[in-house]
Amino acid sequence: MLEVKNLRKTFGGLTAVEDVSFTIRPGEIMGLIGQNGAGKTTTFRIILDLLTADQGEVLWENKRLSKKIFNKIGYLPEERGLYPKVSIENQILYFAQLRGKKKSEISPLIDDWLKKFDVKGKKTDKVKTLSKGNQQKVQLICTLIHEPELIILDEPFSGLDPVNAELLEEGIREAQSKGARIIFSSHNMNNVEELCDSLIMLKNGRQVLHGAVRDIREQFGRTKLFLESDLSKEALLEFPGVQRVEKNRDGIDIVYLTQADEGKAIFEAATRNGYIPTFSQQPPTLEEIFKRMAGERNE
Amino acid sequence: MNKFWVITKEVYKKNIKSLGFIVMVLIPLIIIGFIAGMTYYFSQESQNAEPTPIAVVTDDPALQELFSDEEWNFDIAEDITTEEEAETALTAEDIEGYMVINTEAQTLEAEIVHSNGLSNQIQIISEVLTNYQTMLRADDLELAPEQVMSLTEPVEVEETVVSIEAGALTEEDTTDRMIQEWSAYAVSIAIMAFIMTYSGIIAEEVANEKGTRIMEIILSSATATNHFFGKLVGVIMVMLTQIAIYAAVGFAAYLYFRDTDFVQGLIGEMDIMGMLQELLGYTLIFFVAGVLIYVILAAFFGSLATKMEDVNKAVTPIVFIALAGFYVGLFAFTSPENTLAVVFSYIPLFTPFVMPFRIASGTVATSGIWLSIVGTVGFAALISAVALAFYRSNVLVYSDTNILGTIKRSWNIMQSNKKARKQRDA
Repeated sequence: MLEVKNLRKTFGGLTAVEDVSFTIRPGEIMGLIGQNGAGKTTTFRIILDLLTADQGEVLWENKRLSKKIFNKIGYLPEERGLYPKVSIENQILYFAQLRGKKKSEISPLIDDWLKKFDVKGKKTDKVKTLSKGNQQKVQLICTLIHEPELIILDEPFSGLDPVNAELLEEGIREAQSKGARIIFSSHNMNNVEELCDSLIMLKNGRQVLHGAVRDIREQFGRTKLFLESDLSKEALLEFPGVQRVEKNRDGIDIVYLTQADEGKAIFEAATRNGYIPTFSQQPPTLEEIFKRMAGERNE
Repeated sequence: MNKFWVITKEVYKKNIKSLGFIVMVLIPLIIIGFIAGMTYYFSQESQNAEPTPIAVVTDDPALQELFSDEEWNFDIAEDITTEEEAETALTAEDIEGYMVINTEAQTLEAEIVHSNGLSNQIQIISEVLTNYQTMLRADDLELAPEQVMSLTEPVEVEETVVSIEAGALTEEDTTDRMIQEWSAYAVSIAIMAFIMTYSGIIAEEVANEKGTRIMEIILSSATATNHFFGKLVGVIMVMLTQIAIYAAVGFAAYLYFRDTDFVQGLIGEMDIMGMLQELLGYTLIFFVAGVLIYVILAAFFGSLATKMEDVNKAVTPIVFIALAGFYVGLFAFTSPENTLAVVFSYIPLFTPFVMPFRIASGTVATSGIWLSIVGTVGFAALISAVALAFYRSNVLVYSDTNILGTIKRSWNIMQSNKKARKQRDA
C-alpha cells in the first residue's frame, strides 16, 4: 500500500504542494489531474524521493518510502527520452538493470513485450530509427518490464493514437491485475474516467477533489438531463429548477438543472403520453468538473 | 550487478562503440603517421638525391680530388678546366655551379658561382678550404702533424647547470632537464587535448540525460552518487582506453621500426626509458589530477544545461579556464621564475599546466611540489563533493535563465531539501 500523507513542499516563497494526501492499495489505479503547474510533477518527485517534503510523508507498506524500494518502481516522465544511439534491446536491458534485474531475467521477455505493444522494428534497431510513437512504446516497456509494484506515469497518453492508447490501457490493466499500485496524470479526462478507481485533482498545489470517480461526479449532483420528448424549450424553461436548455446536434434537449430533484417533475411531464426515447439524468462529466474547478477562484 | 557498475559499463560501452571515439583515437595516429611518413620520405629523398653537377677550376688536382669524395655528392665535370668553359656550362645548365680556386703562396682564394644549388654547402666548403690552407702552410713551415694538431685543437668547454635549493648548488643533468622540459610541454598539450575532448563528452552525457528526462528515471532507480561517479568513472575508463591504445601502438611501432636507420637517427640520442620514468613521476600525477578536476567540473556544468543545445555554452567557462592555464604554462616554460607563474603554479585549476614547467626548470623545491599536489588533489575532492551536492538538484531545474539563475534555483532546492530532511529526521 502506498500512503501519501499531508505533503507540503515550498521553494522559497512558492508553495508547490500543500496538504496532499491519498492512499493507493494493490491493484488500484489513481488519476492525478490538474492544470499545468498545479503540482503534479512535484508530487511525483516527492514520491520518487527526488525531492524531500517539508511536511508529511510517503509510506510504502507502512514504512517510509526509501531507496530500498527503488527497484519496485516504474516511472515514465512527462517528456519522453531514450538514448538515440542505443539499440531497443540494450535500452530496455539498461533500465531493467538499473531496477536491479539481471540481463538474463529480462532478455527472454523482450520479444513478447515488443509484440504486445506492437513495436515496429527489430530489437537490434537503434532507437533513433523508430517513429515517435514507437519510441514512446519502447519507453513504456522500459517502465513496465521489470514488473514494478508502484507505477508512476506522467501523461502516458499524450501523443498516442487511439490504437496505441488502447495498447497502453491494456498494459496498465495487466499491471493492475498483477497487483501494482498505479498513479497516472492526464489531461484527457476520458482516459481517467475509464481507467481510474480514484482520482485527485490538484489546483495551485492543493487537493480540490479526491475520491472514487463515480462518487466525485455524484457529489456534483445529477444536474444534467438528456431529454427527447414533445416538451418545447419554453415549456421546459417554465420548470422552476431549470437553468437553461440547449439542443444538441442530434436534436436532444440538454436541460441544465439547479436541483437534481427537479428531474422527477420533468420526467412526469415528458412521459404523460407514455413512451419517450431518451430520458437520462447525469452528473457532470469529469471534464466539466475539471473545467469548473479550474475556473473557480481559490477559496 | 551493482548499479554503479551498471552505469559505468553503459557509459563506457556507449562511448567506445561510438563513431566519435573511433575518429578521435584515429585522427592523432593518422596525423603522426602522416608526419612521420613525410619526414621519412624527404630524408630518403635527400639521401638518394642525384649528385649535383659542378666544376672545379684549379691548378691543384688535390683540390679536385677533395671534392670528389662521395660525401659531397658532387658530380665533378673533369673536362672543364677554365673559368670560361665553366661559365658556358653553367649558362647551358649542364652544371649547377663551379668553383675557381687559386693557390698562391700557400694562400687559397676561391670564388664560387652557382645557381643557388650550393647555398647549403658554402660554409662546409669554406671550412674544408681553410683546413686545406692550414695544411699547406703547416707544410711550408715544416710543422709536424702533432704540432698542427696542437695548434688547431679546439678549446674544451664544459657546461654544468645547477639548481639552487636551500642555499646550496645542486648539479643538474642537462639532458635530464631537457627531457623534463619537453615532457612538461607534452603533458600540458595532452592535458589540454584530453580536457577539451573529455569535458565535452561528459557534459554531453549529463546534459543529454537531463534534457531527455532520462535522468529522472535513473535517479529514481539509483542514487545520485552512483550516477555521478558511475558516469565519471565510465568516461575516465574511455580515456584510459584511448591512452592504452596509443601506448600499444607506440610500443608496437617502436619494436617494429627501432632498428631502421631513420628511427635510430631520430631517437638514437634519446633516453626512452629516462623519458618514460620522467613521465611516470610527478608529471603523471599532474596529468591525472588535472584531467580529473576538469572532467568533474564539466559534469557539474553539464548538469546545469537544460537541453543538449546548451552544452557548449555550459562548458565554455571550463574551456576558458583551461586555456588560461595552458598559456600561463607556456609562459612558465620560458620564464619559470616569474611571479605570475609562481602564483599560478599553486592555484589548483592551473597547477597541472604550470607546475610541471617549474619542476622541469628546477625552480621549485620538493616541498613546493608536494604542496601543490596536495592542493590539487584536495581541490579535486572538494569540487567532487560540491558538484555532487548540486548535481542532485541541478538535474531537476529546467530554466531558461542563464547559468547563474540555474545555480541559484538549484541552491534553493538543495537548501529546501536539506532543511526538510533535517526536520524529518529530527
